[in-house]
Amino acid sequence: MLKIALVGNPNSGKTTLFNGLTGSNQFVGNWPGVTVEKKSGKLKYQDFEAEIIDLPGIYSLSTISLEEEIAVRFVIENKMDLIINIVDASSLERNLYLTYQLLDSKIPMIVALNCMDIVQKKLQQIDIKKLEDELQIPVIPITASKKTGINDLIKLIAAYDYAGQKHEHRYEDQIEKTIEVFENLIGDRFLAIRFFEDGLKILEPLKLPPEANAKMIEAYEQESKRYQIDFDMVIPNSRYDAIIAVCEIVLTKNGTDVISVTEKIDKILTHKWIGLPLFGLIMFMVFFLAFGPIGTWITDWFVFGIEWLFSRVDTLIANLGMMPWVSSLITNGVFGGLAAVIGFLPQLAILFLFMAILEDSGYMSRAAFIMDRLLRKFGLSGKAFIPMLIGFGCSVPAMAATRTLDKDEDRKITTMIIPFISCGAKAPIYGVFAGALFFRASYVAVFSMYVLGIIVAILSAVMFKKTILKSASANYIMELPEYRMPTVKNTMLHTWERVKGFLLKAGTILLGAFIIIWFLSYFGFVDGTFRMLMEDEIEHSILGAVGKFLLPVFRPIGFPDWQATVAMLTGLVAKESVVGTLGILYGVAGNVVENGSLLYEPIRLAFTSAQAYAFMAFALLSTPCIAAIAAMKKEFNSWKWLIFSLLYEFVVAYLVALIIFQVGSLDQGVILSIIFGIIAIMIVVFSIRKFVIKRGAICDSCVNCSIKDNCHLPKKDEFLAIIDQKKEDDQDDRE
Amino acid sequence: MTLKDILPGEKCRIKNIYVNNLRKRIIDMGLTTNTEITVKKMAPLGDPMEILVRGYLLTLRKAEARMIEVEKIGGSS
Repeated sequence: MLKIALVGNPNSGKTTLFNGLTGSNQFVGNWPGVTVEKKSGKLKYQDFEAEIIDLPGIYSLSTISLEEEIAVRFVIENKMDLIINIVDASSLERNLYLTYQLLDSKIPMIVALNCMDIVQKKLQQIDIKKLEDELQIPVIPITASKKTGINDLIKLIAAYDYAGQKHEHRYEDQIEKTIEVFENLIGDRFLAIRFFEDGLKILEPLKLPPEANAKMIEAYEQESKRYQIDFDMVIPNSRYDAIIAVCEIVLTKNGTDVISVTEKIDKILTHKWIGLPLFGLIMFMVFFLAFGPIGTWITDWFVFGIEWLFSRVDTLIANLGMMPWVSSLITNGVFGGLAAVIGFLPQLAILFLFMAILEDSGYMSRAAFIMDRLLRKFGLSGKAFIPMLIGFGCSVPAMAATRTLDKDEDRKITTMIIPFISCGAKAPIYGVFAGALFFRASYVAVFSMYVLGIIVAILSAVMFKKTILKSASANYIMELPEYRMPTVKNTMLHTWERVKGFLLKAGTILLGAFIIIWFLSYFGFVDGTFRMLMEDEIEHSILGAVGKFLLPVFRPIGFPDWQATVAMLTGLVAKESVVGTLGILYGVAGNVVENGSLLYEPIRLAFTSAQAYAFMAFALLSTPCIAAIAAMKKEFNSWKWLIFSLLYEFVVAYLVALIIFQVGSLDQGVILSIIFGIIAIMIVVFSIRKFVIKRGAICDSCVNCSIKDNCHLPKKDEFLAIIDQKKEDDQDDRE
Repeated sequence: MTLKDILPGEKCRIKNIYVNNLRKRIIDMGLTTNTEITVKKMAPLGDPMEILVRGYLLTLRKAEARMIEVEKIGGSS
């Protein structure tokens, strides 16, 4: 089957076009880089059939982030039959840059000129015929969001002459000479041009022998002397000159520039004074709607429905007369576990919905713009704000969102600190404990948990940046896309896509984990015989035995009894099951998840306030739930890093809980223990910050780079060292 | 004079790019020699800055902006 790839800038409407071509439910966002993995679908038109591949958005073939690398590797390595280059007509100049880079590859290409409606709004006109003549490839005007022009595009794809001669873009004579020198060494014009632009980096995957590499470097240095301007700027300059010439021919502006709607909105939303408070207000509104009265109300009804359904299933199964362990597996293992996760779905769906609206409208990019200054102080880029924000809802989608970060090290740092951000599932734990022991100060206690999570996350980020992940760049350069009115359909698709991802995870990995935990909690030795246990016999279960065995480890951090330990262990399944388990273990009749106050009495008997606070802190910071661990593994793609970060989280949680409990035990005053906890952490924050934070940006290669020394890229030794290091890392990972 | 010194509302033209960090990205995003830039505004916390270049809005940090040599053009608009 023919392979057709969609390539274009982030935010150019690629995913919308993909949906139009394949009819698939792909989600579309306005946050640069929503497509985090390659997605493919089928295009069918009469007898014609082709595979359409949607690649992450890229600005150029020279990559800096992982998702861009996915796209570019695909273009360079997999020989595609056709590229559909989607070009956002409303910023033609920048979009055509990628088009020209792609032209060098000589892969057959069609340009889909998107957003013609915006062009008209800007009182501009683009002469399609002239653009075709200039580029010497077919150009089809479309408006992907309104589905106009898509049929013409499909017809053209079906009728395209795949075997025909492809036009080659020629550069100025001097540049062509240099390309020829490189081409003679590598044997490929496209690679020669890539080398011209990107230097040695491009040779890495070719695995040339060292002598050949040395020859390339020599040629590079020789050639670079022949140009007045920086060598790596030669080709981009030439391309942009060509593009400006093309734009002058094809683009006609009627009258003066109109002030765009985007600028008007931005006058308010990124305003010097009110921009920040507005941002805070928007974020507050999102969380208020998701986790406040409305979200809780919807959740309550939803949980009510689920429980009614499950109770019917329970009765049904009980009447079937199956073996007791089978019915227990179904009711307690499968449905019990699913209920714990699905009960959380409405709030998550609301959160995802608002995130989708913020993303589709283009506000998320502004959020990164506003927050960058703050996050940079902690060694993070403004772009890291979005994953962290999503982390307040659920760590799983948050970790997937780290792929928009530029460097692998930045992504690692962000992924590792996301579990510290208090996710929605942890809220019931705070609710029950704070409600039981902190009375009027319970809101302060709950709020302090969120603050504690943020502080630990920030400190960890700073520490990682200064120790094991020094090369993390925390770079920031970002386009602010034009505001768009989010369409109902896109927003719903976007929300559904994420909810679906969550449900799929619940249905696969989590189901397996639930069954294991079910086995551990419903089987055990009673009076020397191994058998299945009743609901109230969990004390004798394997899990109970593990809990009792581990109790001495948790005593120093204030765990009063094995029940607390076991509850924390079941938190591995889903953090919300901590409360449920405590209910069972303390023998509370009734649903503690729905009505937390039932647990107040047993908790008051078992915990002191210092113990409760330490327990809350431990639940917040310790190893995340299985779903998050699975997401982490996916993002790290390395067991080494996964185990390291899980251990790190456990150790941090243990230490913080230890400090809180030990300090808190000195004085039984409820408020005092909270204050002590916070002050202890604040002192650590400021002392560490004094040592590690230095002003100014850190450059990748030349740390104290002076503006006068014009630096010639690539630096031979540095590049070779990086290549060696990468090879070693790869080998390490394979081992 | 560098891009960092240009005030919101003012226009300038790029003379040279000394940036090491993110260099290739900055160039590919259209900041090449002789490109005209309009500085739009600073972020509420004073950094990064928002510029209009080649018909679209780009944001970058002052750390990078001070490595881009520019010359001012025209009066303030």
